[in-house]
Amino acid sequence: MTAPGPFARRSVRPGVEPFSAAVTGVGLVTAAGVGTDDAWRGVCDTGVAPSVPHLPELDGLPCDFMYTVDGLDTKAALGIAAQRLMDRFSQLAVIAAREAVADAGLDPSVWDSGRVAVVIGSAHGGLPFYDEQHTTLTERGARRVSPKLAPLSVVNGAASSVAMDLGVHGPSQAVSTACSSGTVAIGTAHQMLRAGACDIVVAGGAESVRSRLLIASACQMRAVSTRRDDPLAACRPFDTHRDGFVVGEGAGLLVMERPEHARARGATVRARVAGYGASSDAHSAVAPDPDGLGIERALRTALADADVDPTDIGHVNAHGTSTVANDLIEATMLRRVLGEHPLVTSTKAMTGHTLGAAGGIEAALTVLALQHQLVPPTGNLDAPDPAIPVDVVSKEARRAVFDCAVKTSLGFGGHNAALVLTRA
Amino acid sequence: MSTSEEISALLVTRFGTDPAAIRPEVPLRQLRLDSLALEELRLLIEDRMDIDLEDVVLSSRDTVAHLVAAVHSKAGA
Repeated sequence: MTAPGPFARRSVRPGVEPFSAAVTGVGLVTAAGVGTDDAWRGVCDTGVAPSVPHLPELDGLPCDFMYTVDGLDTKAALGIAAQRLMDRFSQLAVIAAREAVADAGLDPSVWDSGRVAVVIGSAHGGLPFYDEQHTTLTERGARRVSPKLAPLSVVNGAASSVAMDLGVHGPSQAVSTACSSGTVAIGTAHQMLRAGACDIVVAGGAESVRSRLLIASACQMRAVSTRRDDPLAACRPFDTHRDGFVVGEGAGLLVMERPEHARARGATVRARVAGYGASSDAHSAVAPDPDGLGIERALRTALADADVDPTDIGHVNAHGTSTVANDLIEATMLRRVLGEHPLVTSTKAMTGHTLGAAGGIEAALTVLALQHQLVPPTGNLDAPDPAIPVDVVSKEARRAVFDCAVKTSLGFGGHNAALVLTRA
Repeated sequence: MSTSEEISALLVTRFGTDPAAIRPEVPLRQLRLDSLALEELRLLIEDRMDIDLEDVVLSSRDTVAHLVAAVHSKAGA
């Protein structure tokens, strides 16, 4: 085992007290289930996704399947007038945000809207709309291109849609750091609350990239699984036979509050976001630092920010994408920083890799894991890779007693982020 | 289907407009049709009726009757 790096147990901001944001609401829209209860059951009970369908728009590609959110009537949920002004990733975000706010027991008609903020991460925003409208442009000409393309496909579409839907008048913004966007959004919210910029933040991630263009590129990169004969088994984090990630769509949002604000209104606190760290690999457009030094820096920063020891961490919801490189590098880093005791899981076999939404969804699942003292299983882990040096929970959810958990995320471009979450 | 009926159908199905609110004298902005919505509506009408409204000036201050008349003049052209 490598010796601890240079950042162990060092105060990130000397003289600054640790700050824990109260998580009072959770909203989840995932392929494993729509709504927090269904998603949690889907992730914990089965260990496999309900389905990973072949999509007609991906016909002929080496990877022609995706995790999709089925059975969700967005038109009925949002109404035609509102739905037409949102791309699908924004629609999923608004549905998740409504759930999270209701779960927090907040009423947007009476809250101090100028003290509420929205921070939502997304990697690709309305890319499928771009894809569709590019086809329109080339086949039918410029006069047939939708005027909605520019305003709806922007990456901040989810944040602005949620702000409009909830009547939020404080800051609202997008975070875009590829596959760590959702985690960085929650970290940004943590910093905003700590700074006193707002009392409440709706934060997390949203993504929907049902795009032939994007998946074609992912295939060309050889980043996605090509297990077309068995899509349900394609995403298999930490497994010997993993061959790439499988894209999914979804949204995961938290309602985070300044602790005194939550206390004053008597809110039920599900868990707390106690620390955040981020870093840049400065290494590659796609590959993580081969030694995991970037994500290690982010994790050590988050631990110091939360003022907790590695030995305090009982559970890690890992990035665990099911690529050969990520899983080995990440797991080796986790062992190096945290030791062998934390129960590690990747929930992507049940949700897919939701890219910019992943950090939001997985942070929400980490909140639920802390609350229920239950670690979800890593689906499809039939043949654990012997090179993975951590205790990966497989097959069945595992009961445990733990007060602190970690969420790690890595994004294309070397954007690393880590959160420390604690029991309420 | 008349021009008025075509436009009403689009407003109801694509913009979620209350059918009872679509009356000739009502300004389009009262139906929550802002500048973006009007440009979207222009494309939808063109596609549905196979006409060209490129040189038709539309404003959310215009009434439903004005819109119907403008479209009707192009449809009959």
